Amino acid sequence: MTWLVWRQHRIQYLIGAALLATFAVMIVITGEQVSHQFHTVQGCVAGHGCRDLGGLFMGSKVVGFLVIATLGTPVLVGLFWGAPLVAAEAEAGTTQFAWMQSVTRKRWLMVKIGWMLLAAAIWGGVISALVTWWASPTNAEQLNQFDPGRFDIMGLVPVGYSLFAVALGVMAGALLRRTLPALAITLAGFIAVRVVITLWLRSHYMSAVTTTASVLSGSTPKGAYWQLASGVLSPNGQPLPQADNTPYFDGIPQTSLPGACSVMNGPNAPNNPPSACVQALSHYHAYLTYQPADRFWAFQGIETGIFVVLAAAFIAVTAVTLLRRDA
Amino acid sequence: MTWLVWRQYRLQFFLGAALLAAFAVLIVITGVQAADQWHAAQACVASHGCQNLFLGNHAVGFLVISTLGAPVLVGLFWGAPLVAAESEAGTTHFAWMQSVTRRHWLTVKVGWMLLAAAIWGAVISALVTWWSGPDNALQLDAFKTGRFDIMGIVPVAYSLFALALGIAAGALVRRVLPAMAITLAGFIAVRAVIAIWLRHHYLSPVTAYYSVTSAFTPKGAYWALASGVLFPNGQPIDQNSNGNVLDGIPVTYLPASCNQTQRGPFAPPPSCTQALAHFRGFLTYQPADRYWTFQGIESGIFLVLAAALIAVTAVTLLRRDA
Repeated sequence: MTWLVWRQHRIQYLIGAALLATFAVMIVITGEQVSHQFHTVQGCVAGHGCRDLGGLFMGSKVVGFLVIATLGTPVLVGLFWGAPLVAAEAEAGTTQFAWMQSVTRKRWLMVKIGWMLLAAAIWGGVISALVTWWASPTNAEQLNQFDPGRFDIMGLVPVGYSLFAVALGVMAGALLRRTLPALAITLAGFIAVRVVITLWLRSHYMSAVTTTASVLSGSTPKGAYWQLASGVLSPNGQPLPQADNTPYFDGIPQTSLPGACSVMNGPNAPNNPPSACVQALSHYHAYLTYQPADRFWAFQGIETGIFVVLAAAFIAVTAVTLLRRDA
Repeated sequence: MTWLVWRQYRLQFFLGAALLAAFAVLIVITGVQAADQWHAAQACVASHGCQNLFLGNHAVGFLVISTLGAPVLVGLFWGAPLVAAESEAGTTHFAWMQSVTRRHWLTVKVGWMLLAAAIWGAVISALVTWWSGPDNALQLDAFKTGRFDIMGIVPVAYSLFALALGIAAGALVRRVLPAMAITLAGFIAVRAVIAIWLRHHYLSPVTAYYSVTSAFTPKGAYWALASGVLFPNGQPIDQNSNGNVLDGIPVTYLPASCNQTQRGPFAPPPSCTQALAHFRGFLTYQPADRYWTFQGIESGIFLVLAAALIAVTAVTLLRRDA
């Protein structure tokens, strides 16, 4: 059976391996340049004297684009390995033949899916390892690896996404028995599940931490925290509206502050607000709701767990569908 | 033949139309909100006092960016199977034996598909362009790579190109899955090469020089290609410098009077201003009024590529033994 799997899918595996190798070469070459750049700029990063830290982009822009594009790599294995696994054979009628052999249908399915899952895990793991290594200087500088979009291409989760995508493709193919519709459903389902979990569920894995501090001092949690909400509380504890259609100073609409503060939004603003303004400001508190940086790996684990459970459920549905179906 | 095309592809067309309708509803609802916000915010935009002004809804903003990938969908799900699925199923043998000539069969099928792809690209682009109107006015970034690619007329050309690429790959490979893989890889490769390396050469860029003590910003949504500071002798200053800089110049090249805090408003003393006056900043850019010229050139390139791919398909199929 293993020999059969290899013969049937070797082109897909070889193409996947070639893509991984190309990606690895680009990542390693530009990653070396990045870490070199990062060491040279340590001085100005520490002194906050770099001309324009936002403009200090590390590494090649093209490879940076490629790294962001790895958001889409897990679904590729679902489309091109998962969806055709059962559907292509059902379309061509070769399942009729395969299931008449001495190999039982259960074994046929287990060996095929087992190798596919292993290949998908390697695909996700290798890409994620390369991206995580490449992005570490950028993470150290921007402290943004917890943000949606960065969290999703590093650490463990790409492995979970890849397993999920393959399982979704296999199940769609087994249910529909046609490759093209199975591909379309895999693509749409992957995007929908990923978006729903990223935008609406992920922030609730653990209850967020809220800190308040005077708007004059400000407080920034340490490390790469994930900011969920922020704003300013009025002296009576009500959050101020962030309606954006009036001039603001330190997050407070200028209309709520004494006239002494209005110079701060003018063209020749002094470095420090006048004392009348400082006194008015001291009644306001800024709040910040966030997930602390040290929860990064807990969140990675929870998210990976969710996708692995979904993948297992899809595989179970596939098995039930195929083992119950009349050949 | 038209009736046959409709019967064969009505499911795909219905799916496409349903996706477009759902997208249109989201865009129109949030677009009206964004336009309201924009009108309310005019005052603080004029005084540059807005903080973190984001127009519209985050989830729909994400959807708008992801329309970068919408053209390739028609290539994958309409283009690649057009010939390949019939080849795989063997129905081409049957189709090409009928009274309809192979040329007529191909012309009608490809013609309707191209029309559908153009509508797909145009509807998405019209919605995105309208939705992004306030954002463009605020950020002035319509010319930037990634924004340019989802607005105006280029999405129509990308859709036609993706479809033609899918059809050609299917006709050459005669198998659906490999044709889809080739379509996806080919689309991304051609789009990336043109967007990253070719686009900024369509017209020679303009370079402006200015004194570093005064700022210079071209008007409108220009596309900045390069910027930096020149030494008094005209050599560019290395921007990967790792020391403190003032107005883009490492402080080691400036008199000590310039070496003050970089934070907050800082009016340099006269001796520093005099030293700064010898340095010139430069900005290489494509002016905002070239936007539609660039849209036209880019669309033209993709239309020519699409026509070439259709020609390849026609030659392949008309010469092939049934």
